[in-house]
Amino acid sequence: MPAVTLRAVPLLSWRILSHEKGRTALATAGVFIAILLVFIELGFFIAVPQGGMLVYDHLRFDLLLCSKNYAFQAEPWQFPRARLTDAAKVAGVARATPLYFAGTKWQEPAGGDRIDAFIIGFDPAARPFAVTGIEQQTVALARRDTMLVDDATRPIFGPIAAGTEVLLDNHKITIGGDYTLGTGFLGMAVAVMDEANFFRLFAPRPADIVNLGLITLASGADPDKTAAALRQALPDDVQIFTRAELKNHEDKYWTTRTSVGLIFGSGLVISFVVGIMVLYQTLATQITRHLPQFATLKAIGYSDFYLAAVVMIEAAMIVLVAFFPAAGAALAAYAQIRSATLLPVVLTAPEFAAVLVITLAMSAASAFLSLSNLRRADPADVF
Amino acid sequence: MAAIEARRLLPGTKRGVPLAWRNLVANKRRLLRSSAGIAFAALLMMVELGFEQGFFDASLSAVQALDGDLFVLSAYKYRFGTRDPIAHAELDTVRGVAGVASAAPLYASWQDFFWTSPLDSKPYLVRVFGFDPDEPPVFSLSGIKDGQALLKTGDTVLVDSHARAFLGMDTDKKSTDLSGQPVQIVGTFSLGPDFMSDGTVAMSDRLFAKLLPGNRAPVAELPIETIVVKLRPDATLSTVQRALRKALPNTSSVMTKAQIVDLEEQFQAKLSSAGPIFWLGAMVGFVVGMLISYQVIYTDLSDQLPQYATLKAIGYKTSYLVRSVLVQAGLSGLAGYVPAWLLCIGAYRIVGAIALLPLHMTLRLTILTLGLTLGMCLLAAALAVRRVISADPAEIF
Repeated sequence: MPAVTLRAVPLLSWRILSHEKGRTALATAGVFIAILLVFIELGFFIAVPQGGMLVYDHLRFDLLLCSKNYAFQAEPWQFPRARLTDAAKVAGVARATPLYFAGTKWQEPAGGDRIDAFIIGFDPAARPFAVTGIEQQTVALARRDTMLVDDATRPIFGPIAAGTEVLLDNHKITIGGDYTLGTGFLGMAVAVMDEANFFRLFAPRPADIVNLGLITLASGADPDKTAAALRQALPDDVQIFTRAELKNHEDKYWTTRTSVGLIFGSGLVISFVVGIMVLYQTLATQITRHLPQFATLKAIGYSDFYLAAVVMIEAAMIVLVAFFPAAGAALAAYAQIRSATLLPVVLTAPEFAAVLVITLAMSAASAFLSLSNLRRADPADVF
Repeated sequence: MAAIEARRLLPGTKRGVPLAWRNLVANKRRLLRSSAGIAFAALLMMVELGFEQGFFDASLSAVQALDGDLFVLSAYKYRFGTRDPIAHAELDTVRGVAGVASAAPLYASWQDFFWTSPLDSKPYLVRVFGFDPDEPPVFSLSGIKDGQALLKTGDTVLVDSHARAFLGMDTDKKSTDLSGQPVQIVGTFSLGPDFMSDGTVAMSDRLFAKLLPGNRAPVAELPIETIVVKLRPDATLSTVQRALRKALPNTSSVMTKAQIVDLEEQFQAKLSSAGPIFWLGAMVGFVVGMLISYQVIYTDLSDQLPQYATLKAIGYKTSYLVRSVLVQAGLSGLAGYVPAWLLCIGAYRIVGAIALLPLHMTLRLTILTLGLTLGMCLLAAALAVRRVISADPAEIF
C-alpha cells in the first residue's frame, strides 16, 4: 500500500466527483429528486394527523374534558354541563369553559345548494381561541345572529366578506368578519358564534349539553396530577385528556382508524424504494464509469476497503449537496400542498434531520450494493 | 446511401440489424436496474391514481347500488351523501305520473344514528338507509334484496359485512343497540365504507321513523331522502323525466344515476382535498421516472457515442438514430411497466382488503398509467437525444 493515509480519502472522492462535472451534476440532480420525493410523501403522511390537530392547536386549554364515547374532534359526543361545574371545583383547576358543536346547512339567500357547514359555539369572555381574528372581533361576535367565518372556508360557499347574509338551516345569519385558523377535518366551512347566538340558531337544543370542555389550570398546577384528581372527582361518563394524550389519541385515530395511515404509508414506502433505486442507479453508474481508474488504484496496491471508503464518501458528498436544495424545494412544495389541500403541512427540525439521516443510510446501503461492481474491478480485465 | 438506410429498430422484420432492441438488451444488468427504477416510478403513479379512483368509487358505491331508472331528490343537494330530504307528499305526485311503474321511498341519514359496537360497547356514527320492505327493492345488493322481507316485523336490521372492523358488524352477535334502542341483526349485505361513513345499517321505514332522533312524523309523513322510480317497459326515460320535473315543485330534482354520478364528480372536483393529493403524488412519480429514464439514456448514449458517430460517418441519418433512441426508451418503459402493472394488482388486492377501498386495475387506469410511463420515458429520451444529434464523427476520434 502506497504511503497514502485514509485522510486522503475524501480528497480522492472529491477529485473523482469534480473530474466530470456534468455527470456529477446529473447524479446530484437524481439524488435531489429522490430526497424531494421522500419529503413530499412524508408531507402527505403527516398532513392528515396534523389536520386533525389543527383546531386543538389553536385552543387555550391544559386538559380536555369530553364524553367517554369521544371518537375524534368532529365526533366528540356530549356530556352534561354539570361536569364542568364540578371540574372547576377540583384543586388546580382555574377555569372550565364549554365548546358547543353543530352541523348545519349553509345556503346563499339567493338560493342554490345547501351545503354542510360546521358551527362552534363558545363564550367569548372565556377566550378559548388563541386566534387573533377571533379575539379582535368580539364586538362583531356580540351582535345578534352574527358569526365569524374561517377564511379557509371553500369558495363554493360564496363571499364571506363582513356584512354578508347567509342562511343557516333557513335562519338568516350575518357574517361579522373572518379569521385565519383553518378548517382541519371539521368540514368545508367552519364558523364560530357567541353561545347565545348558537342556541338561538339551534333551538330547541338544550343549553346544558356540552360537546367539549376546555380546562385551564391555575399557575403551578401539574397537568398529570390534576387530570388524575379530575378522573377521581368526576363520574365515568366523561374522560380527561392531557394535551399529549389528546395528540396521541387523534394521531392514532387518523392513522389507524381511518386507513389514512395505510394509504399514505404505502406512498411513503414506495417513495423510499424509488429513492434507493435512484441512489443506487446513480452510484452504480458512477462506479462503472470509473472502473478503469479503480482497477488501476487496486493494481498499485490500494485495498478494497480503501476503495470502498472512497465510494462511501462519494455517496455521502452527493447526498449532502443534494439534501439542502431538496429540503428547500420541499418547503416550497409544502406551501403548494397547504394551499391546494388546506391541510397544515409542517415539518419540524427533528423531522428534517431524520430525513437526512435516512437518506444517508439509504445512500450507504446503495453504495454498499454497488460495491459488488468494484470488487469485480480486475486490473487485468480493464486494460 | 439508401442501401444501408435500414429502417429496422425492432427484431422480427426481414432485413438489417434491430438497433434499438440490441442496444436495450446489450447489458442485461443495466436493463434490469433501469427497468426496476422505471417500474417503481410507474407503480407509484398506479398506486396514487388507484387511490384517487378508489376514493371516488367508494363515495359512489351506495349510489351505484340503487335499483331504479330515475331518482327524485332535493334540488339543493350538492352530493348524494348528505341529509336533505323532500316532503313525503312528493311520493304521490311521482306515482301519478304516466310511465312510472313503481316509486319507492328511500330514507337515509349520515349523522343521526349511532351504532353500539359489540367489540367495545362504544357508540359510533353510522350511515342508515330505511325503506318500505313491502315495496320493490330500492337496492340491487343481494343481501338487502333477499333480506328485506326479514325487516317486516320486529326491530330488525341488516348490517354491512364490509364495514370498518371496529364497528364489529361482521361478528356473530345477533343484537346490539342503535341510538340507544335494542335492535336484532337478521342479516348482512356487502357495501363497504367511504370517506364519510364507516359502516351502514339497513332497516324498515317503520323502524327508521321510530329511531330517528327528534322525529315525530309517522311513516306516512316522514320526509324522504330519495324516491327510487322504476319505469314501465314501454316508457321512454327522457319523457318520464320531463313529466316528473313538470309535476314536481322546483325544490325537487329528477336525476338519472349518471347525473347523480356527475353531481358527485363536481363536488369532488370543487371541494375534496383527496384528488389534488393523489395527483400530486402521481406527478412526483412521473418526474422521478423521467429522471431515472434520463439518467439511463444519457449514460447509455455517452457510452455509445463513438458507435453512434461511426454509424453517422458510414451514412446513417440522424433521424434514424434519434428514432432508435426513442424506440429504445419506449421499450425500456414497457419493460418497467409490465412488472409494475402485475405488482400493482397484488398491491391493490392487499391494500384494498385492509383499507376497505374498492381498488381495481381498470382499463382507464391501465391506459392512463401506460401513457404516463411511456410519456416520461419518451420525454426523457427527447431531452437526452441531443447528444446523438450533435455527435460529430470527426470530434469523437
